[in-house]
Amino acid sequence: MSNETNTRLQAKFNEGVTEVKALIKHPMETGQTKDLETGKLIPAHFIEEIRCEYNDEVVMSAQWGVGISANPYLAFQFEGGKIGDKVKLTWKDNQGQTETTVTEIIPK
Amino acid sequence: MRSPLKKHKWLVVILNLIIPTWGIATEISVTIPLDLDQPTYSVPWKRYSQWAQNDWSNYSHLRQEIARPVSFIQHVETPIKGNPDKGKKLIADRKKGNCAACHLLPAEKLPGNVGINISTIGTWQRTDEYLFNYIYDPRIYNPSTIMPPWGAHEVLTKAEIQDIVAYFKTLTQPVEFTDPLENPDKRPIPVEDRNNLDEMENPAMFAVKLGEKLYNQPGSMGKSCHDCHDNPQQTFVTWAVRMPKVEPRLNKVIGVEEFVTRHARATTGAEYLAQTEENLALAIYLRYLANGQVISIDKNDDNTRIALRRGEKLMDRKIGQLNLACNDCHHTSANKWLRGQYLGDFVGMLDHFPTYRTSRTEIWDIRKRFQWCNVSVRANELPPDAPEYGDLELYLTAANNGRTLSVPGIRH
Repeated sequence: MSNETNTRLQAKFNEGVTEVKALIKHPMETGQTKDLETGKLIPAHFIEEIRCEYNDEVVMSAQWGVGISANPYLAFQFEGGKIGDKVKLTWKDNQGQTETTVTEIIPK
Repeated sequence: MRSPLKKHKWLVVILNLIIPTWGIATEISVTIPLDLDQPTYSVPWKRYSQWAQNDWSNYSHLRQEIARPVSFIQHVETPIKGNPDKGKKLIADRKKGNCAACHLLPAEKLPGNVGINISTIGTWQRTDEYLFNYIYDPRIYNPSTIMPPWGAHEVLTKAEIQDIVAYFKTLTQPVEFTDPLENPDKRPIPVEDRNNLDEMENPAMFAVKLGEKLYNQPGSMGKSCHDCHDNPQQTFVTWAVRMPKVEPRLNKVIGVEEFVTRHARATTGAEYLAQTEENLALAIYLRYLANGQVISIDKNDDNTRIALRRGEKLMDRKIGQLNLACNDCHHTSANKWLRGQYLGDFVGMLDHFPTYRTSRTEIWDIRKRFQWCNVSVRANELPPDAPEYGDLELYLTAANNGRTLSVPGIRH
């Protein structure tokens, strides 16, 4: 089940379409921001890859960069899905941190 | 039916004079275990690394007044020989005059309306000496002004003020707005329509989950919050709307955040320093349990009233290089524009803290918001558990009595 630590995932089914929404807690540091105390740049730290699977089939995948905001929000729809089935969202950032969240599709 | 107490109000007053009332009910009880020895932050206090590190110790702050009397009239050679082109740059420079932040001036994007419209100041028949000294230290002419003393507080040099005066003397045409959004008197008031408690919208909702987890997590003494307070939904249903409170052992007002740090140290052994993710998460969780309740600071005891009076005074304390008091912006100039920023009234500001700030991508509690205000007027901030902030928090929360708590907030 969804562990809800850094990712909040929701999937709702309506009229043959599943709408997936996600909010991810992540700093998305660009590597361009200065630490005003030390004067040094804060190292880049951002999500590089994000992928959503339904029944072991990838329904959405994206490559992200530093242009994405901190704590990003993501929403998309895919055709199909079934109430009670699982949707899996996985992201990986440039520092090797990765997280997988699973949620059950619920009716809209 | 009229209560007999109301009918014989005079009798109550006389009885009160003879038998003093001991109003301690609204204070934090001395039986509640709290760590009373250590500050709630790591000593010495250090400003956040993402904030400008300037030291403003030459100017007053909320704890200490640094005497800087109103200036005498400065002699200036007239007619003033400044450079109007340089002056035009200075009035828009945020590090310098920044006149357009408050005043309506031509050719400036999104001018403010905290100050008067000075777009035709060149036709006002003011002497050069008057214009120069009004910018140097406006308190010479208007003791109740909120305008900063630009020269006396060393923001502008005398040469720069002469440039600005030279530019002002060229201003004769009133500003006409083609776009109503540019006009500060017509600009629509910003309304926050995001839902605080929408888990998909407010990233601070992650803190509620973390707070709940920490609540059930044992500290170094082997106990968790839950071991003593096993029904938080019931126990804390109104707790947070009565905070902050006077803490007689510490002789100051403490808020939810400081209470969490001190109470956890004394009971579970967990260390939740101010402004850490854990401290904010627990403070948010404890307020979350009281969401929907109205803020109800009880003002009926002597110590609370004393603290409220101190808070009221602090609201008028002029601080920083910009010499501004809380009330200057959030009362006198409330509901006006500081360039593109809308200055809110302090009623309505306290019901959603700690809040997620989209512009900073961080959760801020009210103490950090105070610190930000201090640094913005170029005054040194105090540590988060400062008694002065306690008095201010109490005063502002009491001013918000009757408003519904909705934590965590989400704001710009």
